[in-house]
Amino acid sequence: MTVALTATGLTKTYRTLFGGSRPALRGLTLTVPRGVSFGLIGPNGAGKTTFIKVLLGVVRPTGGDVSVLGGQPDDLNVRARIGYLPERMHLPAALRALDFLRSIATLKSLSPTDAELRRSLERVGLATDSQRIGTFSKGMRQRLGLAAAMLGAPDLLILDEPTDGIDPVGRVEVRKLLLEEKARGATLLLNSHLLSETERVCDRIGVLHDGTLKLEGSLDDVRRVTTRWQVKFAPGADASVLEAAGFVGGLFEGDVDELNAALDEVRAKGLKLVSLSPDSKDLEQVLTDVMGGSAS
Amino acid sequence: MKQVLRVAFDLLLEARRRRWFLALFVGITLVLVVLGFSLELEVVDGALAGSKLFGSLLFDDIVSADRVLSGVYLGAAYAAFYGGAFFLAVACSDFAPELLAPGRIELLLSLPIARWQLLFGTYLGVLVITALGIAYGAAGLSVLLGVKTGLWSATLLLGSFVGLAGFAAIYAVMVCVTFFVRSAAVSGAAGVITLVLGVLASYRESLMTLMEPGFGRTLFSWVMLPMPRLGTLATVSARIAAEQALEPEVVTRMLMGTGVFTFALLAVAAWRFERMDL
Repeated sequence: MTVALTATGLTKTYRTLFGGSRPALRGLTLTVPRGVSFGLIGPNGAGKTTFIKVLLGVVRPTGGDVSVLGGQPDDLNVRARIGYLPERMHLPAALRALDFLRSIATLKSLSPTDAELRRSLERVGLATDSQRIGTFSKGMRQRLGLAAAMLGAPDLLILDEPTDGIDPVGRVEVRKLLLEEKARGATLLLNSHLLSETERVCDRIGVLHDGTLKLEGSLDDVRRVTTRWQVKFAPGADASVLEAAGFVGGLFEGDVDELNAALDEVRAKGLKLVSLSPDSKDLEQVLTDVMGGSAS
Repeated sequence: MKQVLRVAFDLLLEARRRRWFLALFVGITLVLVVLGFSLELEVVDGALAGSKLFGSLLFDDIVSADRVLSGVYLGAAYAAFYGGAFFLAVACSDFAPELLAPGRIELLLSLPIARWQLLFGTYLGVLVITALGIAYGAAGLSVLLGVKTGLWSATLLLGSFVGLAGFAAIYAVMVCVTFFVRSAAVSGAAGVITLVLGVLASYRESLMTLMEPGFGRTLFSWVMLPMPRLGTLATVSARIAAEQALEPEVVTRMLMGTGVFTFALLAVAAWRFERMDL
């Protein structure tokens, strides 16, 4: 497995003005394989933005190791292969979209033609290049930031709230773009509060809470509920027999042993199992469960 | 080095769209155009006679054209130094704070640019803008007076470029301050204060004789000690423009002192920037 980024025992403690300290990351360990779309979720203050800043070399870790695309975040050759969309884009108000994109391309040592830059703008749904950025809506700024991040077909795209301020139709377009980037082979690291968006784009999820990674795995794994099962029996099954064994409304609550005992019981009475799968929950529930677990 | 130039070029692009700099270049153009239409200079046998500004006679007597031009260049160089330094300290005060703005610095640092390249690129970009302003204003005035009098001189341009060293020192302070307090107001204020202190530093010895010996005087001497002698630099710049005699050692010493001050401040800024969490 080739790896896009790894963090081992990563810690970051911010010093406050009067000599105090505020830990943001507490020994974060994570590996993201190349070519996956990884969703980082967690409540405010969980350390998601700090982690992203560490990956970009904007914030220096207090301890631990981090490697991005096989190198250090400070390595300019590594950074040349990263596209980044910050959470709060601060764009030069006096420039036009095309000027801004040209400037980013130049700093990335790329030399696209104006036609190519216009195509990049069109790709994110920005057809205008006569308006100054200062007059852009939040959604337009976000689209421009996305175009800048995708310039030069980077190997790793780090996107902090990519659909923030974008209308529902625009979100669909952005999602399509992200999936195109993934299909191209880029690794996506997505930090979004819109869990439904994360669910639709990402195939791996990490739940960050209080500076530590509480849960990590494939989308199916983290959503899977190991104590609740969806079961379906052949038509004509006696509902009272099923209920007596614990199968209510097509669901069974219990661990694997309990499930098998219940199945043996109903099968002994002639009922036939058609399908069985672990029940799944949405990311909102995953996050709530993780935070609830941490709180208790 | 390429990235430093790219950052500088990027800053020029941004400045081109800003009202401050449009105002600067429009202002210089207006002054040149108004002078071009309203100033009448007649040179007869190396002397100015019947010269008029807005239709009024400038001199009652016949005066040497060289002397008049020398005076004009002297005044223009002083005006360019002090006026330019003050204007640019205000107009350029937000470049470095904008560079560090949340949402922008992360984006810039995610690009293949080292922090020091960002810092020096920004610094260089501002100096290039200043140099362009100086070149446009000084060359424009020199050409205008050259056409009107037939006496051509590049000393105003040369003197103004020596004066650029003064703004280089002022802007180094402004950049350095930004890495400790990210505020355009503080950066601009630091520039203006440096200009004032730099002028006072030129008269350090004579000012100290006016003070009572003690803590205040010692403090003043210590504060003034590292400051570039901006008042003297302005005089050097003006004297070069006016083709007045100067000791080359004085000019060299002045420029070297200002250069050391500038590089020291930029080194502090780079040191601070490298250690900053943004």
